[in-house]
Amino acid sequence: MHNNLKTQFCGLELDSPIVLLSGCVGFGEEYTRIEGFSNTDVGAICLKGTTLEPRLGNIPSRVTETPEGMINAIGLQNPGTDIVINEIMPKLDKKETRFIINISGSSIEEYGEIAKRFDDSDIDAIEINISCPNVKEGGVAFGNDPDMSYRVVEICRKNTTKPLITKLSPNQTNIALNAQRCIDAGTDGLAVINTLMGMSIDTKTRRPVIGNNQGGLSGAAIKPVALLKVHQVYQVSKKYNVPIIGQGGIMTANDAIEFIIAGASTVGIGTALFYDPLVCPKINDGISQYLIDHQLNSIDDLIGTLELNSAISQCDIGSK
Amino acid sequence: MSKEHRNTIKVVDCQVLAHYKYEGDQYIITLASDVIANETKPGQFVHISVSDALPMRRPISVMSVDKENATFDLLYKVVGKGTQQLSERKIGEVLSVIGPIGNGFTMTDKKRPLLIGGGVGMPPMVAIAQSIKDSDYHPFAILGSEVPFPFDAQVASNGKDYQGATHTMPEFEDWNIECRLASLQNYEGSFKGYVTDLAKVYLDGLSAEELAQVEVYSCGPHPMLEAVAKLAKQYNLPCQVSLEENMACAVGGCAGCVVEVQTDNGPAMKRVCVDGPVFDATTVF
Ligand SMILES: Cc1cc2nc3c(=O)[nH]c(=O)nc-3n(C[C@H](O)[C@H](O)[C@H](O)COP(=O)(O)OP(=O)(O)OC[C@H]3O[C@@H](n4cnc5c(N)ncnc54)[C@H](O)[C@@H]3O)c2cc1C
Ligand SMILES: Cc1cc2nc3c(=O)[nH]c(=O)nc-3n(C[C@H](O)[C@H](O)[C@H](O)COP(=O)(O)O)c2cc1C
Ligand code: FES
Repeated sequence: MHNNLKTQFCGLELDSPIVLLSGCVGFGEEYTRIEGFSNTDVGAICLKGTTLEPRLGNIPSRVTETPEGMINAIGLQNPGTDIVINEIMPKLDKKETRFIINISGSSIEEYGEIAKRFDDSDIDAIEINISCPNVKEGGVAFGNDPDMSYRVVEICRKNTTKPLITKLSPNQTNIALNAQRCIDAGTDGLAVINTLMGMSIDTKTRRPVIGNNQGGLSGAAIKPVALLKVHQVYQVSKKYNVPIIGQGGIMTANDAIEFIIAGASTVGIGTALFYDPLVCPKINDGISQYLIDHQLNSIDDLIGTLELNSAISQCDIGSK
Repeated sequence: MSKEHRNTIKVVDCQVLAHYKYEGDQYIITLASDVIANETKPGQFVHISVSDALPMRRPISVMSVDKENATFDLLYKVVGKGTQQLSERKIGEVLSVIGPIGNGFTMTDKKRPLLIGGGVGMPPMVAIAQSIKDSDYHPFAILGSEVPFPFDAQVASNGKDYQGATHTMPEFEDWNIECRLASLQNYEGSFKGYVTDLAKVYLDGLSAEELAQVEVYSCGPHPMLEAVAKLAKQYNLPCQVSLEENMACAVGGCAGCVVEVQTDNGPAMKRVCVDGPVFDATTVF
């Protein structure tokens, strides 16, 4: 691993700024099936969204390709908190990388209960998913309302001393306000963004392609949206030194660098793995080389270094 | 902890060596890869990049392998954008392939495998046949299609006529494996009817002792598999079916490809890519 990629995130020492995203890499071991893929190439892995009780998830079809992206509606299929803690986590090799659990509750109390159970485990951090678009209860219902978001983060904060990351939804009017409330409630980090809601229709059958009718759009198609959201959230989070996992359509090292410049401390890789399972070392190499080329010692020197254009509108130019 | 699953799937760049078009928008593509040719078991598939314009891979079963020349063949039908893009790939182009993936079929001690393949579900049946051609198995294969078969059907050399089914696929003939064709269309030498009807004709011709040695292996469209599973149940035969679902990762990471399976602990959602694609028919139908 390149030395200049080592970084700190919410108190965790990471060997790389890459974080593998929840729902794309199962419970941490799935991608190791691929020869040449290694968990040691990434700073951290977010495990699949986990609920208190087991969930079977949504009916098929659950995934479909869309222009420069895909829609998914998995519906948080997972074996439940206790099985994750007792049967899955013991099999993870903690020497290889850091592991973050991604949690979802159907009520505020349930979020609190799950956070408490993971607090007693040896998970490295907890990511609160208040932005899942694919479940009826909870998820995005909490994430679109800053006061509800506050209460979810607050109860988790009470119940754990582990680093807490809150994953924000792009499907809301004012993401910066929501970020502010989550910081007020004690989140240590923010994940920006979860998927955008979308639909795909089969014109032969005149039905939605996805069993759940709608789903979450990810991949390159959402990158410009995600980048702006990271920029907006960073305007708030930088005041409190709350770091961001920037994510949404990162495919290349250059994409990752854009997110870091916009204010992300770490970068999430999800959909890109489906196209190229060996993409992580390439992104590491690219970021490391960029730092060298620009005489920067570490990622820290690049975070949030965006220089905005002086925003004169066309109309202003015309009047001069 | 056991890490047996690690490094079992390879990412390989494969050159297109041949690419033939058949009637009914069907294609057979030959790709070069030592690893896929040597490591693939019948029923396993590859996840293939069809073009730069369409980054999501498409899953296709491996039909046959040539270990000596380090190549493998896929048979596919154009049904949408992805398979359309694949059909446009020219000889000499290089495609990224992930594989081999999946559990594949399990050959049991039942010595009379009955292979039933429909449409682009034929490839896994061809793969099984190739893998047991020089063994003590006595397989019988039934291939069904409603578009012209993607090969030149020929008269089977053993001359047996199963109610009009006299023709076979040339490869099966080379491998000395009995095979017949079925279709609702009037194709020369094909049984006129469903694959399951021809299967009945075959099964009814077996002695009780022979019948006890039959295990059914099948791949094809969902309604066909359902009918095959029903038939197997009627005749009290074990039956393995290979299923399809839309896929994203194909390594078990996204839970995008699941089917509902009955287990001892009630219904479960199993991933077609790594828990399958082959399942015990009684658990899915
Ligand atoms: C394990 C496995 C093995 C397969 N083996 C073969 C094979 O040997 N030969 C072959 O021709 N096809 C095979 N398929 C099916 C093949 O993957 C799909 O036909 C292909 O992905 C369709 O992509 P598309 O972009 O052309 O079509 P799309 O535009 O995605 O879809 C067109 C139509 O096909 C349907 N479809 C899409 N994906 C699938 C799918 N995975 N299975 C069934 N229907 C689908 C859609 O619902 C739609 O109606 C296999 C699928 C799996 C899961
Ligand atoms: C198949 C799939 C499943 C996902 N499941 C979850 C989940 O369980 N919890 C969650 O917080 N985000 C989930 N996500 C969202 C991703 O973690 C990520 O935020 C999003 O896909 C954007 O990044 P990308 O464009 O790099 O994929 C899922 C995404 C995909 C594609
Ligand atoms: S395609 Fe991702 S789990 Fe099967």
